[in-house]
Amino acid sequence: MQSLAAAFIVFRKELLDALRDRRTLVMVLLSSVAVGPLVLVLLSTLVAGIEKRAEAREVLVWGIADAPTLQNYLQRQTFTVREAPADYEALLRDSRLGSPVVVVPKDFEQLLARGEAPLVEVVMSASNQRSQTGAGLVLRLLRGFNQEQALLRLATRGVSASALEAVQVEERDLADPATRSAQLAIMVPFFVLMAVVYGALNAALDTTAGERERGSLEPLLMNPASRLSLVLGKWAAVATVGMMIAVLSCLSFLPGQWLLRSEALAAMFRFGVTEALAFIGLLLPLAGALAALLMAIAIRCKSFKEAQASATLLVLAVSLLPLVTVFHQEGTAPWHLWLPALAQTTLMGQVLRGETLSWADVALVSGICALLVVGGLSYVARSLKAAALK
Amino acid sequence: MIKIERLQKRFVQGRGRHQRIVQAVAGVDFVAADGCITGLLGPNGAGKTTTLRIAAGLIAADAGSVWVDGVDVATSPGTALARMGILSDARGLYPRLTARENIVYFAHLHGMGRQAAQRRADALAEMLDMAALLDRRTEGFSQGERMKTALARALVHDPPNIVLDEPTNGLDVLATRALRDTLRRLRSEHGKCIIFSTHIMQEVERLCDQVVVVSQGRTVASGTVPELRLATGEQDFEEAFVRLAFPPAPAPVQTPATPTQAQAQARTAAPASSLQQGAQP
Repeated sequence: MQSLAAAFIVFRKELLDALRDRRTLVMVLLSSVAVGPLVLVLLSTLVAGIEKRAEAREVLVWGIADAPTLQNYLQRQTFTVREAPADYEALLRDSRLGSPVVVVPKDFEQLLARGEAPLVEVVMSASNQRSQTGAGLVLRLLRGFNQEQALLRLATRGVSASALEAVQVEERDLADPATRSAQLAIMVPFFVLMAVVYGALNAALDTTAGERERGSLEPLLMNPASRLSLVLGKWAAVATVGMMIAVLSCLSFLPGQWLLRSEALAAMFRFGVTEALAFIGLLLPLAGALAALLMAIAIRCKSFKEAQASATLLVLAVSLLPLVTVFHQEGTAPWHLWLPALAQTTLMGQVLRGETLSWADVALVSGICALLVVGGLSYVARSLKAAALK
Repeated sequence: MIKIERLQKRFVQGRGRHQRIVQAVAGVDFVAADGCITGLLGPNGAGKTTTLRIAAGLIAADAGSVWVDGVDVATSPGTALARMGILSDARGLYPRLTARENIVYFAHLHGMGRQAAQRRADALAEMLDMAALLDRRTEGFSQGERMKTALARALVHDPPNIVLDEPTNGLDVLATRALRDTLRRLRSEHGKCIIFSTHIMQEVERLCDQVVVVSQGRTVASGTVPELRLATGEQDFEEAFVRLAFPPAPAPVQTPATPTQAQAQARTAAPASSLQQGAQP
């Protein structure tokens, strides 16, 4: 009981200390909480631009005057046909022109009439993202023109149009709206994971290596409070700061999506209060585990700077582990749930796809985090005296 | 009262072939009485800080024991620490907390209630002449201001025993004088047992009722300043200290020793046992 009272005293002091470090808090809030929604809004601006171009239904053609048949076809597809600027190549290279250019030869009509295939080029630049995106649409249009011409030729020879289609092909997408939205929302787990790490990082380092560096650890250990209660109080404060940042980061995506400029994107990005709460539930044990691990790393270091360098490995691991879900194309493997950070990403992915979380999985993931907390804290408690004296 | 009995501690430095064993404390033995300022005097590296760290329960001794008002530090460190106020060599403060918050934090860790802690912080601020500092954040405090805050923090639970490890390090004349006055008052008015570790002769002469001279990890002499002068036959206390802390090497008897051998003998020479026996209380 006394140990818990002492731990609470340490917790209160460490939390006050961490919250007074305003400059660091502002930096963490800016980098971890604001960046996610900001990226979301930037992405929506990009997608809105693409949508706008698609809605414009405009095709740029170089030499359209020489291809009235093609012009007629395009106009019948409700596309506006415009003459491309003369320096279209330079403009495309410099990304100043966002649409691909269809180049038709001078003798287009004559070749077409003779049944010889005129060469039509679709000019774009792979380094110009916008022109590359638009090229797909133009190619589909030209394929349509090809098919129409072929059908006409066959019809004049009395051949059925069905001769051209040996097989009927149709796409059927199995993904429901929730699964489709998961593709875009998959960036949310990455940002909230980073928020937890950076939220806990500074407080964890300050309460261990920082305390060593400023010479306040030795006087602290000369109090009757047990080492375990000191460590427990410190960990609780660090985990609380990490958790606070995690909660803020999860909630920041809620207003973030109201700013989405693309309607299609807003429909695809399904991240509501339910998802945010599930995320928070999954992240809280991770915040505890990361707080304990960071403290265990930092207690070995004599200075805050040294601790920052040592903690880089853990920060890197947390940022890279979720990428396993990207590289591992065969879906979720059971071992994904055994690695913290990767496990949380996997389960957050399930939440985004609208799947029900299994209690066994959640218990396993939280249990591993609890083990890390116990291991990390007992290591810190063991190292405390030696750290104070070196 | 703090009683230190035949304390020994050695450290292993380095690993493998570079391993080196350092005997930091090799028989420190003294009693610091209540109502008395006991000076722990010794050159740098004599083992003073290690002795005080063992007393604070931070390091376990290889042999010997430390008793604080009859409580063994090794077996009941919590109870012993509750009866001691220790100002160690490391006296870092929390820069984002005010001096009051620094002091009250330690008061709470000693089990004091909120009101009692606040009252004690005010009383200590008055005693140490630091009332104006109390509600300022400690970031940017001068050495003297930091020392006062650290001392207040160490004394917050009104301990009957006070241990100070080189408290005047980095202090200017006025701050040193103020500290001396405070310690005298704590001794005379409150009857505290104070151990004052230092390597500065003048401080010991002016402040300490009892002196324990430590050299090469051992207690080599103890007594009042006049007693130590008398025992060494030196009028100047500094000379007396040098004779006690750095005893001359015994003269070669038969074959003349090479300089290297003489130095080795000087390093390993035990202190004169008669002086040690005679000087002990």
